[in-house]
Amino acid sequence: MKIRVDMELCVGHGRCYMLAPDLFDEDERGYCKLLREDVPPELQPQARMGEANCPEGAIEIEED
Amino acid sequence: MAADDSDIDAGSVNLFSPEFAACPQPTYRDLHARCPVMRSPLTGGPILTRYEDVVWALRHPEIFSSEMEMQMALGTQRPMIPQQIDPPVQTKFRKILDPQFSRKRMQLIEPELRAHANRLIDEFIDDGGCEFNSSFAIPIPCNAFLALLGLPREDLDLFLGLKDGIIRPAGGFEDPEGAARIRVESGRQIYAYFEDVIADRTKRPRDDMVSYLLKAEIDGQRISHNDILDITFLLLIAGLDTVTSTLGCNTAFLAANPEHRRRIVEDPELIPNAVEELLRWETPVTTVPRVVKQKVTIGDLEIQEGEVAMLLIGAADVDDAAFPEAGRVDFDRESNRHVAFGAGPHRCLGSHLARFELTTAMEEWHRRIPDYAIEPGETPRYSPGIREVQYLPLVWERSAGSAR
Repeated sequence: MKIRVDMELCVGHGRCYMLAPDLFDEDERGYCKLLREDVPPELQPQARMGEANCPEGAIEIEED
Repeated sequence: MAADDSDIDAGSVNLFSPEFAACPQPTYRDLHARCPVMRSPLTGGPILTRYEDVVWALRHPEIFSSEMEMQMALGTQRPMIPQQIDPPVQTKFRKILDPQFSRKRMQLIEPELRAHANRLIDEFIDDGGCEFNSSFAIPIPCNAFLALLGLPREDLDLFLGLKDGIIRPAGGFEDPEGAARIRVESGRQIYAYFEDVIADRTKRPRDDMVSYLLKAEIDGQRISHNDILDITFLLLIAGLDTVTSTLGCNTAFLAANPEHRRRIVEDPELIPNAVEELLRWETPVTTVPRVVKQKVTIGDLEIQEGEVAMLLIGAADVDDAAFPEAGRVDFDRESNRHVAFGAGPHRCLGSHLARFELTTAMEEWHRRIPDYAIEPGETPRYSPGIREVQYLPLVWERSAGSAR
């Protein structure tokens, strides 16, 4: 699984780094900072939570 | 749009009545079914209710602009920054302000928010009841507001009166002219107060917001005196109102729905998710206005340049097209893209602070007062506009309250 963040859409809601802290962090403004593009199996639930709770639809998941 | 057996003219719904404010969700869902894009019978202005439409409008400030004409202003002499200006200038101000309100920054004050909630609870827990709004919901956001802006506690009642003078002036929706006079006078006092603060921090900088703004630069230039006034004006009316409203709406829901309340008492780790679900369900900031900058068609409604559109974010958040079983409150909801804090470039600047305030307040309350109810024979009273529960009498068994 891979994840991508469209930084044109991110406005810093912060749901991703609240719900999936192993995959996302925040930059100085509170915008999304992607920690890793490749998602190991144990973090796939976090990736799905991040994607499903971004109000901007800025997170995209690519399943293997 | 079929209105075959209709005994309700959806267009006649008064979105600014206390009855609507008390229970808006059925009306929203009725609007989705009957006329998701419509014109207000009162103003003729367009009203959007679908999640897809509302979010699209919020993400397109070049069409749905926040740069209102001054008659829409809330007692202001100039637009509030950054709420009433659009990108690209708005983005420059957000770059200055966002770091001051980031989640990491707000995390630092979380222990103090929690201690503040507990001090408030200490005041009334042994009474076996309280009026929730005045005893808890109003004071909850005050400490963080005073600390961030570096303002004295003795002026708090003044600030609370001024923000109410802007947001819900006496006479409100029945007497628009009287309300406008109160707004202008409240606005004048807010400007005058912060003029003094700016003068003081210019001479004696401190570790607070105005001192920070006095040093802040955009494109290598210090921001102007008026810019600082227009930011502090917004921080005052936004920082002291919406968390109070949200906490009241959430608690009124939990008092009336004991099965939901029991779940968060038995499993406090559910509270952050419950806060999100109640933000979705209650969405206390029901509506945001936008002025239309270019002709646009939404659904089957043609909207002209210069019209003021009402975006019902409260309705968007209970749209079945965006949320599975949108009409059900579900603390286990795994997918929740609610827009209670808005969307697009104007996403609420204080959302991270608000989340900490709401979560800590609900955790501490339910740890210490797990079982409570609306006082028998009493009915909560909601204010229209931003849905504050202005009267919420709660009771609990004295022995049920737990010590710190």
